[in-house]
Amino acid sequence: MNLRDLVILVADPSSYISMLIHGMLRGFGSNKILEVRNSNGVLQTLMGQKIDIMICDMHLPPHGGLSLTRAIRGKTDNEHRTMPILIMSSDSREATIKRARDAGGNMVIAKPISPSSLYDRLSWIAFNPRKFVDTETYFGPDRRFKIEGYPGGVGRRAGDKEVEIGAESGPALAQDDIDNLFSSVQTGKD
Amino acid sequence: MAKGKHPKSGTQKPGPSTNAAKTNAAKSDSAKSGGAKSNSVKSGKRRPPGPPARIFPVETRFQQLARRTGGVPREQAIERAQSALEEAKPAYEDFLEREVAGLADLVRTVEAGNDEPGWIETVTFRSRQLRDSAGSLGYELVAFIAGSLCELLDSIEDSSEYMESIVCHIDALMLARQRSYRRMRPEQVPELTRGLQRVVKHVTI
Repeated sequence: MNLRDLVILVADPSSYISMLIHGMLRGFGSNKILEVRNSNGVLQTLMGQKIDIMICDMHLPPHGGLSLTRAIRGKTDNEHRTMPILIMSSDSREATIKRARDAGGNMVIAKPISPSSLYDRLSWIAFNPRKFVDTETYFGPDRRFKIEGYPGGVGRRAGDKEVEIGAESGPALAQDDIDNLFSSVQTGKD
Repeated sequence: MAKGKHPKSGTQKPGPSTNAAKTNAAKSDSAKSGGAKSNSVKSGKRRPPGPPARIFPVETRFQQLARRTGGVPREQAIERAQSALEEAKPAYEDFLEREVAGLADLVRTVEAGNDEPGWIETVTFRSRQLRDSAGSLGYELVAFIAGSLCELLDSIEDSSEYMESIVCHIDALMLARQRSYRRMRPEQVPELTRGLQRVVKHVTI
């Protein structure tokens, strides 16, 4: 994956977390990284320049990263409407991941973030472009897809079970299961 | 900078503008076919269906450029990112000292009865920051305690009622920030971890 000259926007309220993500992205070869602390900062940045991908915290103030994602996807005359959005969340319960998916996020990455999990999710977005769906109630990447393994990465483990879609809340999910939730519509579980 | 131009090239952006055009075309197509369909729905019991979903391919600049050759291979990229995190650790330990001391001061002030507007939001923000940063950098005990504090704060409505539980977590963080504890894993201090788990369980039930 070649991140050189791609403009990456990191939107996280914590300057420390942003700094860590910044360091990881530099390690991946990225040389154009912008940081903002809130949704207003994101909107101002998007008005001022072209952003190639946004990595956004779910708790981004003032209204959260999902509201922001819906706003970006919902605005019809917005050149960033189809921009890839990777949502970071420390709440990895099933209901939360579904909300992120239904807001139009391309993927969800569980916090705390490790270099390998970040690399693999960026890589997946880069190498597996998804069609967009435009309906009355949703605009965003097609939520029906299957992760067969990350490009050059480890993918799912052979012994992993399919995630069961059940109650609205529950225990935190592992990153593999978060990824798998994005495919649940296709498999008829959601 | 002019809208629609990329900062590097200064040329018209390739992917998304095309995509925006596709999107607009898609929408107008949808509107046409959807309108015809909704006229055929009988009035009464069922809500008329909206325009049919449009599904269209999108290839963004991110996808186009990230697939170029000449990038950093995965293993090397991860190794370099890991090195960046290692380099951040000495500064992080200073940050950890300051953050925990700041949290303890704030909670002590509130405990003493002083009015600190927005203190619970500050404690929540700082504990989330500690949990996520410590987790990324491998300070597992700090991440565990901060995570337990986050869970506690997320589940209580009246923070003053649970001040003792909050103070209990702050005390644990004060211990975990010490040099001899900060690199430990939760399972190396089972009494502490079990105690915090009991506190959170008691509050959340």
